[in-house]
Amino acid sequence: MTVDFDAEQDDVRATLANLRGCDVSHHRAQQLRRRCHSVLQAEPSPMRSAWRTDQTSFRRFVLPALGAAWCLAYLAEMIRCAAAIYAHFGTQ
Amino acid sequence: MTPVDRDAERAIVAGLRAGDTGAFDKAYEAYRRRVFAFLLRMTRSRTLAEDLLDETWLRLVRHASKLFPDTRLGPWLFTVARNLYWSYRRDSLVEETSVPELLSLWPSRSPWPSPFDLAAAGELERRIERALASLSPHHREVLLLVGHEGLTPAEAAVVCGISPEALRQRLSRARAALAQTLRETPAVAAFKKGFAT
Repeated sequence: MTVDFDAEQDDVRATLANLRGCDVSHHRAQQLRRRCHSVLQAEPSPMRSAWRTDQTSFRRFVLPALGAAWCLAYLAEMIRCAAAIYAHFGTQ
Repeated sequence: MTPVDRDAERAIVAGLRAGDTGAFDKAYEAYRRRVFAFLLRMTRSRTLAEDLLDETWLRLVRHASKLFPDTRLGPWLFTVARNLYWSYRRDSLVEETSVPELLSLWPSRSPWPSPFDLAAAGELERRIERALASLSPHHREVLLLVGHEGLTPAEAAVVCGISPEALRQRLSRARAALAQTLRETPAVAAFKKGFAT
């Protein structure tokens, strides 16, 4: 995108570009730097995030699936026992 | 005016995503002054600008792991800083527009110089800063982002959350308003004189 400037607007643009820079005090800059370092180091790394994701999926999916499989096996065994008892007394 | 080239910026972003403090230091050195100057000129208060600067950088490190690999750090930081400024303005009880009216009630219109006025040593620069400060915040922010910080109009549009066309119109109006304000003062003449000597 281009914007046309006349001579006066060139002066305005130059004026804006040449405004002096500003900074916080050295002490405050270092203080903020240290705060940010501590937050950055406390943040979970991608590997730890992946491990946490694995743990979450284990809790959400694998554990319920194992529980459901155990319940199904127990139910099947009970049905098999009931059928055996019924067959034993049924033949007498 | 971009202080960090694109490849270096990608490396910094990759470092930030990995939690590398060295990458943070590079970004901090490259952008701290620019973001602070922007906030200082928007807020006209050193204390407030320092607080908003702290929050801007803390948000960067809190979101570092969620940055996209191709994130442009400059626009990202200016967007956060700008949003913090506007959020503060919405929450503040005294609107900036009412301050001149309040000051006009005092016997002396400008009883003491602000810290920012003191920092701007030269008379010429002080006039230019005053002309800039007299603009509306919307005009001031586009002028600072494009004219002073060197963002492209497309980047500035993203920072301001408006379309490129809307930014172009706002920038044009802001430039006209600034030129008009400067015409009313001897700043431009002094600026030309200063360059000639």
